[in-house]
Amino acid sequence: MTSVQHEINFTLNGKPVTVSVALHWNALTLLREGLGLTGTKYGCGEGECGACTILVDGVSVNSCLMFAVDCDGREITTIEGIATEAGLNMLQGEFVKQWAVQCGFCSPGMIMQGMYLIKNNPRISKDEIKRGIEGNLCRCTGYSKIIDAIAETLHDEEVRS
Amino acid sequence: MTIQKYAVPRSIEEATQLLAAENITMFAGGTDLMPQTKSGARKFKTVLMNLNRVHDLRGISLSKSEVRIGTLTTVTDILHHYALRTAAGILPEVANAFASGQIRNAATLGGNVCNASPAGDMIIPLLLLDAEVELTSWKNSAISTRRIALHEFFIGPGKTRLGANELLTFIHFRIPEEGFVARFEKFGTRPALDISIVSVGIAGTREHGGLRNARVAFGAVAPIPMRGHAVEHAIDEGSLTAERIKDISRLAEQEITPIDDIRATAWYRKEITRTYTERMLHDICAARN
Amino acid sequence: MSIFEKETLIGKRIAKLDAPQKTTGEARYLHDITLPGMLVGRILRTDRTHARIVSIDTSAAKALRGVHAVITAADTPNIPLGHGKDNPPLKGDKVRCIRDEIAAVAAETEEIAEEALKLIKVEYEDLPPVFTPAEALKEGAPVIHDSHADNIPFSFDYSHGDIAIGEAESDIIVQDTFKLHFVTHCCMGVSGLIASFDHDGNLTLHSQTQIPFLYKKDLSPVIDVAPEKIRVIQPPIGGGFGSKLDIYPFEPICIFLARASRRPVKLIFSREEEFIASPTRQPVELTIRTGVKNDGTLIFREVHTLHDNGGYTSWGATTPFVIMQTISSLYRVPHCRYHTTVVYTNNPYSGSFRGYGNLQATFAVETHMDKLAEMLGKDPLSFRLQNAQQAGETTPQGMHFKTCGFHDCLTTAATQSSFVEKHERYRTQQNGPIRLGVGIASLLHVGGGAKIYRTDGCGTILKIDDFGKVIVMTGSTDIGQGAETVIAQFVAEELGLPMSAITVINNDSEITPWDVGVHASRTTFIAGNSAKRAAYKARQKLLMAAGEMYNLDPETLDLRSRHIVHSESGESIVEIGKLIRSLHFRDKSEIVLTSEYYEPPSVMQDRGFKGDVSASYAFGTQVVEVEVDIETGIVRVLNVTAAHDVGRVINRQGIEGQIEGGVAMGIGYAITEHLIVENGIVKNPCFRDYKLITAPEIPKLDMTFIETHDPEGPAGAKGIGEAPSICISAAIANAVYNATGIRFHELPLSPEHVLRRLKSERNETLSTR
Repeated sequence: MTSVQHEINFTLNGKPVTVSVALHWNALTLLREGLGLTGTKYGCGEGECGACTILVDGVSVNSCLMFAVDCDGREITTIEGIATEAGLNMLQGEFVKQWAVQCGFCSPGMIMQGMYLIKNNPRISKDEIKRGIEGNLCRCTGYSKIIDAIAETLHDEEVRS
Repeated sequence: MTIQKYAVPRSIEEATQLLAAENITMFAGGTDLMPQTKSGARKFKTVLMNLNRVHDLRGISLSKSEVRIGTLTTVTDILHHYALRTAAGILPEVANAFASGQIRNAATLGGNVCNASPAGDMIIPLLLLDAEVELTSWKNSAISTRRIALHEFFIGPGKTRLGANELLTFIHFRIPEEGFVARFEKFGTRPALDISIVSVGIAGTREHGGLRNARVAFGAVAPIPMRGHAVEHAIDEGSLTAERIKDISRLAEQEITPIDDIRATAWYRKEITRTYTERMLHDICAARN
Repeated sequence: MSIFEKETLIGKRIAKLDAPQKTTGEARYLHDITLPGMLVGRILRTDRTHARIVSIDTSAAKALRGVHAVITAADTPNIPLGHGKDNPPLKGDKVRCIRDEIAAVAAETEEIAEEALKLIKVEYEDLPPVFTPAEALKEGAPVIHDSHADNIPFSFDYSHGDIAIGEAESDIIVQDTFKLHFVTHCCMGVSGLIASFDHDGNLTLHSQTQIPFLYKKDLSPVIDVAPEKIRVIQPPIGGGFGSKLDIYPFEPICIFLARASRRPVKLIFSREEEFIASPTRQPVELTIRTGVKNDGTLIFREVHTLHDNGGYTSWGATTPFVIMQTISSLYRVPHCRYHTTVVYTNNPYSGSFRGYGNLQATFAVETHMDKLAEMLGKDPLSFRLQNAQQAGETTPQGMHFKTCGFHDCLTTAATQSSFVEKHERYRTQQNGPIRLGVGIASLLHVGGGAKIYRTDGCGTILKIDDFGKVIVMTGSTDIGQGAETVIAQFVAEELGLPMSAITVINNDSEITPWDVGVHASRTTFIAGNSAKRAAYKARQKLLMAAGEMYNLDPETLDLRSRHIVHSESGESIVEIGKLIRSLHFRDKSEIVLTSEYYEPPSVMQDRGFKGDVSASYAFGTQVVEVEVDIETGIVRVLNVTAAHDVGRVINRQGIEGQIEGGVAMGIGYAITEHLIVENGIVKNPCFRDYKLITAPEIPKLDMTFIETHDPEGPAGAKGIGEAPSICISAAIANAVYNATGIRFHELPLSPEHVLRRLKSERNETLSTR
């Protein structure tokens, strides 16, 4: 498949970006190939595994299902954009602390979805977290420590504030 | 070159004008279009149209008697809409069983309806609510709209009465009356991330020991998301005794026309339809609302 | 003067070394790597299951702009690869299964490569296919490989004791046939390879292989490159689970494309291709007869396994060896006879997959244990305890259980879950559509490698630099399980250093010494021991040097918190970096550099398949509580109570992670996962229709680690990587029996499968409302 290119402008991890994309591209291809940001992963290309999860205007979506051109004018956040100046953000830190990372391939998608869940519902329960990551597949961990990591982050944020 | 041009309308007028003039593939959430074009099941036309900047098409508005939902309203919008929970709670309830969080954030109600999968989850509750689709086009230099009852909108798997130059703009339904009760069950081993093998929707207005104006809809057991008219008439006929419920659920099993596929056999789909219909009717009787 | 207490890292919760970079997107997996001038490689696979290739026309593809190479079998040495050496990378004469690779292209973009594939024209002459071993064994069946006219590449026998005596002594004999299905690894990172040659013909591979050194040896003849000219770089891997233990056609194909195009080539599967072309778990038809005495003593097992070998041989064909171990040695069995027949068909072929045949074997054995308990009028726990081995025993197959937590695993899991009481209650007191059930099953698996080659060793090189920083170069591979972290823990422990002082290098064959590979749950044990011993040598060197320099007896010294200290008082003598610099910058200059090649004290099996094949053995018991909806057939796992003999817990979180992940994988095998292969075609090559366990589906999991302190294991540890998946499907099936009275001999227990059995049995103990 080939298609015409189109130039788009958007905010990527807080910085403005101008890039030319093929019209049939999905946002995942734009990120990985167009912009060399390989943190967001290809897991299935069909929206079934969540490895490609990014935030668009703060809302989590599967970047493999989103048209690249639709990034125009939006605020896109990827895994590369969430660490703080000091280092890992709280959720990333908990993923490390809780052993929520084994092979790590699902981790960027899990973390982005975790960021969305926490922002959306700071009181989210463990059962709601399980539902919240139902669209993120993991073959290594059995999910338990990932759920703990997200739950602990809420606790950290509570303790902080 | 497959796609040669890109269009981003900012108003309903602009969108319909483009549809009238060009050979268009349009997208909103992309949750069906992207996999279908990647697999080759669908081919792109020469113009790709992004509907997402027509902000008028996203939103839920309620009047005293009616609910109007814009085609770009996402499943998450429906899930979180506070007033909808009281007015027509079955819709947010079904939204909660839809795919995954990421897909709910992108998938639109209009997309789900126009994709017309026989298993389309959001279609079932809309059928229970007697929804209508509003179809808009640009004709004779003016906006033109018409409405079709949703239960007459589907003509086959993936096929609807949407005209080539038409845009589904809004979905309407009357706010159900006092005493309206609705239930939805989707078969699966997971709370949401399951393509429907069978889904069953039952609704109606409570009347002594039963329901009147019953609405029954089945997903994934026929070429289209279907209404079960025979089952509706049977429910309307009288009170819901345990024996009548058994008979009505057997009727449901007979009314549907499921196929064998890799997800389930027709036999199993019939078993589940019958079992779920029976359970749901019992549940309606036992509950207060 | 500083005082340092003795601290230990063993058993602690210690974060995984590579976790931080995996949480930021910095970790670059194979899929994320680009080399300058790199091309995209894609494979054209057949759409037939059995056919003669009449012609392949690549002319149009070659002419397409942006295509740099198009190859077919005619362009390559065509040496067959794989465990059975029967699988040519590109197929020139014949197609034997749906995966078969007909041609490959290297192009500038993925889109051009896809376009080029479409332009390749292939003509076939269809041949009659066979899709079951039974069909393939019939007289006059189509011959799949000319080298084996009967379609049987392997068959062999094992026995111990005397079956005739066993039959005579048994009071009860039960026979059943079990059918185990196709499932697939579903690693989140798909298969792929990057190959590039330099001007001198040196080949660099970025590979996800689990066997970097055997890989070089096995690839060499197929690609006609000397092993010493092959460098294997291993980026972080998106999951292994045994899928990368053999050489597969796409690997030499990628290398041939790099050679033909004279550019680096990256060949990555799509997810659909991964489902179709990645090796599966071995499907098995297992017929078992078990005999027991009225007093509950197990007497004999006779087993025949029939293996669908698919179109080509990979490691799936060796699962009979592991199955044999469970048949002969899970519980005491005085008499045993085992026969296996491995049969070619036109189905997709199997490889190795976590548990390696033991899931299939344990499903059969533990279902029979349950059945026999019932027939004997004994509860499932006491019957098992009666026949469970204890420490010091050697099985008739030659496995010596120096340590054995079998009894403890059984009693712990049963007690924590109130198994006996619930089992009885659920058996008799239920009505309504939702039924509860509990089931128990145990496992035996190798816990210290498996000596299938003459050496099962691992090499380590260790250096400590002038600043006290340790680099551990290990031949072992980390597939995400945390092996590198455990290795660092052993080294840190030995040298009295914090984890932050240790760097593990395990990903470049030019640097690291030989290791057989990551399989057979061997890495903590063998690589751990290797690293520990190399660290010990360094420790001795440092203590001797300190003794010499400060005129002290080295026996009275210790290493703690980056210091050499007096053992008794903990008082610091000198900081490690300072000592090393003193050692280095002087007349008799020395640096700290040690190495170790650790060979576990196991033996290869003899011609009768007997021998103490592993340095250690792992045991475990899992009790599962399920809920069965008898009107829909849906089986939900509510609780899992697991007790595992792990020797010693080294990293608490790491080992918990293995159990949690293994349990989810095992539940998938038992209930939700099924790679549907019909007439040789994979019908559900996507996550939408191949159901992995998702977060809302996980059960409550209660784990206990039984520490039996293996004398050979590093700090007493045994391997655990495979154990957690092995016995859970038997426990689930036993629980479903407890709930419904229906015995299942086939997996998966999908809702439709369960409902059909429930309906057809019309068991009187079931009454609906």
